[in-house]
Amino acid sequence: MTVDVQYYVLLSMAVFCIGLFGVLTRRNALLFLMSVELMLNAANINLIAFAFYHGNLTGQLFALFTMALAAAEVAVGLGIILVLYRNFRDVDVTVPTTMRW
Amino acid sequence: MAATATGPFGFAPAIAVFPLVAFVITLLFGRHLPKKGALPGIIATAGSLLVSLVMVAAVAGGNAHHTELYEWTAGAAMSETGAETISFSFGVLIDPLSALMLVIVSTVALLVHVFSLGYMNAEGETGLPRYYAELGLFTFSMLAFVFADNLLMAFMFFELVGLCSYLLIGFWFRTKSAPSAAKKAFLVTRFGDYFFLVGVVAIAATFGTVGFAGEESFVTAAETAIDNGTTLFGFDAETWVTITGLLVLGGVLGKSAQFPFHTWLPDAMEGPTTVSALIHAATMVAAGVYLVARMFGYYALSPTALAIIAFVGGFTALFAATMAVVKDDIKQVLAYSTISQYGYMMLGLGVGGYVAGVFHLMNHAFFKALLFLGAGAVIILMHHEQDMWKMGGLKDKAPVVYYTFLAGALALAGIVPFSGFWSKDEVLFDALAVGLEQPVILAAYAMGLIAVFFTGFYTFRMVFLTFHGEPRSETAEEPHAVGWAVKVPLIALGTLAAVAGFANLAPVANLLGADITFLEFWLDGEYGYVEGLTYHAYHETVAFEEGYIGSETTTMLLSAGLSLGLALAGAFTAHTLYNVPEPARHTRKLGGAYRVLKRNYYQDEYQVWLAEGLTLPLARAADRFDQTVIDGVVNGTSRISLSGSNAVKRLQTGIVTNYAALLVGGFIGLLLVLGYIGGWFA
Amino acid sequence: MMIEALIAVALLGALVTFVAPNRIAGKLAFAISLVPAALSLWLFAAFDGSGNALRGGELAFESQAAWIEIGEYSISWFVGLDGISLPLVVLTTILCTLAIVSSWTPIDERESQFYGLILFIEANLIGVFSALDFFLWFVFWEAVLIPMYLLIGIWGGPRRKYAAIKFFVYTNVASLVMFGAFIALVFGLGDSVTSFALPEIAGAMLDGGPEGFFGLEGTTLASVVFVAMFLGFAVKVPIVPFHTWLPDAHVEAPTPASVLLAGVLLKMGTYALLRFNFTMFPEQVEMYAVPIAAIAVISVIYGAMLALAQTDLKRIVAYSSVSSMGYVILGLVAYTQFGVGGATFQMVSHGLISGLMFMAVGVIYNATHTRMVTDMSGLADRMPIAVGILIAGAFGYMGLPLMSGFYGEFTIFFGAFGSDLLDYSPLFTAAAMFGIVIVAGYLLFALQRTVFGPYRLETDYEVGRAPLHDIAPMVVLLGLIILLGVAPDLIFDMITDAIDPIIQYGGDL
Repeated sequence: MTVDVQYYVLLSMAVFCIGLFGVLTRRNALLFLMSVELMLNAANINLIAFAFYHGNLTGQLFALFTMALAAAEVAVGLGIILVLYRNFRDVDVTVPTTMRW
Repeated sequence: MAATATGPFGFAPAIAVFPLVAFVITLLFGRHLPKKGALPGIIATAGSLLVSLVMVAAVAGGNAHHTELYEWTAGAAMSETGAETISFSFGVLIDPLSALMLVIVSTVALLVHVFSLGYMNAEGETGLPRYYAELGLFTFSMLAFVFADNLLMAFMFFELVGLCSYLLIGFWFRTKSAPSAAKKAFLVTRFGDYFFLVGVVAIAATFGTVGFAGEESFVTAAETAIDNGTTLFGFDAETWVTITGLLVLGGVLGKSAQFPFHTWLPDAMEGPTTVSALIHAATMVAAGVYLVARMFGYYALSPTALAIIAFVGGFTALFAATMAVVKDDIKQVLAYSTISQYGYMMLGLGVGGYVAGVFHLMNHAFFKALLFLGAGAVIILMHHEQDMWKMGGLKDKAPVVYYTFLAGALALAGIVPFSGFWSKDEVLFDALAVGLEQPVILAAYAMGLIAVFFTGFYTFRMVFLTFHGEPRSETAEEPHAVGWAVKVPLIALGTLAAVAGFANLAPVANLLGADITFLEFWLDGEYGYVEGLTYHAYHETVAFEEGYIGSETTTMLLSAGLSLGLALAGAFTAHTLYNVPEPARHTRKLGGAYRVLKRNYYQDEYQVWLAEGLTLPLARAADRFDQTVIDGVVNGTSRISLSGSNAVKRLQTGIVTNYAALLVGGFIGLLLVLGYIGGWFA
Repeated sequence: MMIEALIAVALLGALVTFVAPNRIAGKLAFAISLVPAALSLWLFAAFDGSGNALRGGELAFESQAAWIEIGEYSISWFVGLDGISLPLVVLTTILCTLAIVSSWTPIDERESQFYGLILFIEANLIGVFSALDFFLWFVFWEAVLIPMYLLIGIWGGPRRKYAAIKFFVYTNVASLVMFGAFIALVFGLGDSVTSFALPEIAGAMLDGGPEGFFGLEGTTLASVVFVAMFLGFAVKVPIVPFHTWLPDAHVEAPTPASVLLAGVLLKMGTYALLRFNFTMFPEQVEMYAVPIAAIAVISVIYGAMLALAQTDLKRIVAYSSVSSMGYVILGLVAYTQFGVGGATFQMVSHGLISGLMFMAVGVIYNATHTRMVTDMSGLADRMPIAVGILIAGAFGYMGLPLMSGFYGEFTIFFGAFGSDLLDYSPLFTAAAMFGIVIVAGYLLFALQRTVFGPYRLETDYEVGRAPLHDIAPMVVLLGLIILLGVAPDLIFDMITDAIDPIIQYGGDL
């Protein structure tokens, strides 16, 4: 049994919107990072769904790439959060605003 | 015959090169030379004089010389008269006029150099190498100017003469007044030279040539253009010749210190007296009048230009003579007399009296150099005191100075038989002859005639105050001694001032019917000459009618008698007022006129106002405009972009969430816009 | 390959100097700069070109190599010299060498960087004057700005940041305008050009000109491009009213930077005007002759008036540059042999004279640590030789005969007076010539107050004679000024040879 591609896209959209909602509303950096991960995975779902739909492997390959990248990104992101905590005793992303003009 | 012989003429450039070499040597090694660098200058000017005399001999032998030495540049011309190319070059033109002037200049320069030994060296001046170097450059510039064969070369050396006078007038640069006077001299003459340069450019652009002599000259081209009725730059040819001629005249008025550009000259007395002698007699001031004589053929084509020259000359002669009457400084009196005398030359040339003008130029060179050097000697005697009211009684203490000075004074006043009488009389006679037909010229003549009285008066006022009566100060009682270096030039010039007039005894010749007007023959091509540059040729071109009272002879005698009578009357007035043991100041009796004369008719005031009261505030206003409006726009542009970006940068809150929101909002907005364009919502 | 060698020596020299110790950087840079100077003099002697580079003339030391292909257009390394560019290249190398010597006294920090930048400027300036491909030329043109920005910004006076940024932004914006206009022109020329080589573009402009671009007719496009490029270059020259960056930059710049700025960088503007506007657009030149002549006259008179109002010696000389550049514009717009030739000569001559003046003012500043006219007087008493040279330079600036300035000005005036292209040319010329009176006014006024009179100095410094290495470069410059004044045909012949093809086309209009 196969599921139509539009359901995958709907799923991906839902996941992406949840992630986006998290990015826009959460102030905790960890949750922030998780939301970004959600958005990335939404993209992955899309890639794989369309790869399946078109019947070639390029999309899956890209999904693998993205996962590797996401892992690296999390590593860096967590590092940043650690530094953030060390400097501000907090992981609220609205607190450090010195990186503007 | 107009010959382009070489022979002795091959040495002509050396006349100018000698002083140039002296300049370089003195500039570089002057400090180490004996006499602080005076010797190279003396040797060089002596060499120049020698070669100049050779030139005169060669011209007397029936030759003339015109050759191009060095082509400065050449190219396509855009002339109005059809010449396709134009060449600017340095050349030598030795004809009777330039040969005569070369001798005058090198003689005066040599004597000034010698006199400087007594005036500068003996007085322990500092900076003498500089002085002698500048003197050498001055002589070089003037000599090269004299033998220039084209207008541009003349202009170039004319300017160099201006530079040298700037440097020499400002010789005592540690004072406040000398640099100011030097600046004024350069600026006022530069103002005149502006017109001169416009004239040179106009003439070059009109005729495609700037040559003085020969078929290729602008004079010939202008004559042809007038004959053919050509239109030049939208004017008929004669009008254009008048315009360009008057433009060139601007330079002449500046250098020869004619009204209204005369104001620099009295201030120029700030320079050493030797320099004044050189400037007034043979170089800077003479350059202007010489230029008119040099290109007389061009002015002869335009009666309007000539009349203007004559009128300015006559007016200046009177104008300056009246100012000389009230001066107390011996050099100031001489300064105003120079302006006045050059007015006579202009008057002479302006009425077509080419010979008379040149004759007076020659005589004046000798007697004015004499008077200035004499004044220099007086200043040595008086320990650098120049106020005539502090002098008196020097007659017996320095007889050589007195008698030579007296010879110069008699010449200046125009007392028979000293040189000034003959030339001034000839100028006035020529002016009268033309004036009888032309009312404007008659007015110029009248002014010149009245000036004769004032000349006699101020000259002898100066002589009596300086040399006669009782000494009026301690220095006058015990004057400083003068050496041979002072006396020799005075005696040489005194002799020349006394006898130079015999070169052209026109009235005597007319009375006796004898051929003794040598200068006229000289300038008229009896000896060597260059085609078209003779008195004869000029006389034919000048369009003035001449009238006589009775016959020519009676007119001549009448004129001579009138001017001699006035000169004697002036001298006699001075005698009664000032030749007393204890002369008093009579000038106060003039009342309001005295103030006007003492202030030089407020000429300086309005010219200083033009410079400081008008131009300087205008410049400051321009600067303010520049700083506020123009730069304000530039800075305003940057301020607007800065404040604009200052507003926009507020978007950067530093809060990551806001950035994310902006990103999403932007993305959605873009999507909507593209969708709208793509027709999704249609 | 000679031009490449020139540029390469200067570039490598810049690198070497940059890493050399500060102590020897000055002498090292001087030694290195002698190579391009000597080489360019050799180029001058061996010059065998004829005609105009953009009009099919015989180029000297030409070399060409493919570089980049963009779509249908090819960009190449294309350099060569003609009678217009060669004198400017020689001027550049000589002036750079002398500027290096004149910085020995005033520059006492970060020497290696300073001298490295000067050599870097030299390389780019040579490139500007020899490049014949638009892109290559533009790269050099822009690259000149960077070292100059740094020279002013690091070694400058108290307001150096303001001046450096103003200089950089102003001229850069102008370059942008010019660049955009030129690209539009190339696109407008359509299929008739396949490269950015200037001779090809100039040729295409003669054969019918642009077809139109961006909704503009061909002739309209040409006019728009002409005006835009004129404005772009006008900032560089600078022409009133785009001049205000110049005095600020000069006042803040260290002496050697001022020498190069006035001596060579300003000539980039007039050179580009001649190469682009006045060579490629003869019809537009005729169309806009009167307004251009009018702003030339305004530049002359207004610039001179501004100089008259200044009390800072450097500002006086800076404004007088504005005035002198006005003469160049007048000569160019006259479109006659003497006019354009004289303008080109004046570029070289003004480079020498203004360089000399800035050096002399710099020497005075080294001794007195002030440039204000009101702060000093009677300097001639203490430093006679330096003051003597200053006076000579001032008279050169006033156009004293037998010095190069007179020749440049006279030929410009003569060329402009009889111009057929320019209406009312005698009036414009006579008006511009009045500048020679004002220039004498402000220079003599400044001299009278600073170097003459009783000695007085407001700052606490002992004024003594200037060292030999300060005097020597000025003497060299003075010698060159007099040499060119006496024998102008040394370069005027090759200049006229190169500009005749331009004029001839103008004459056929």
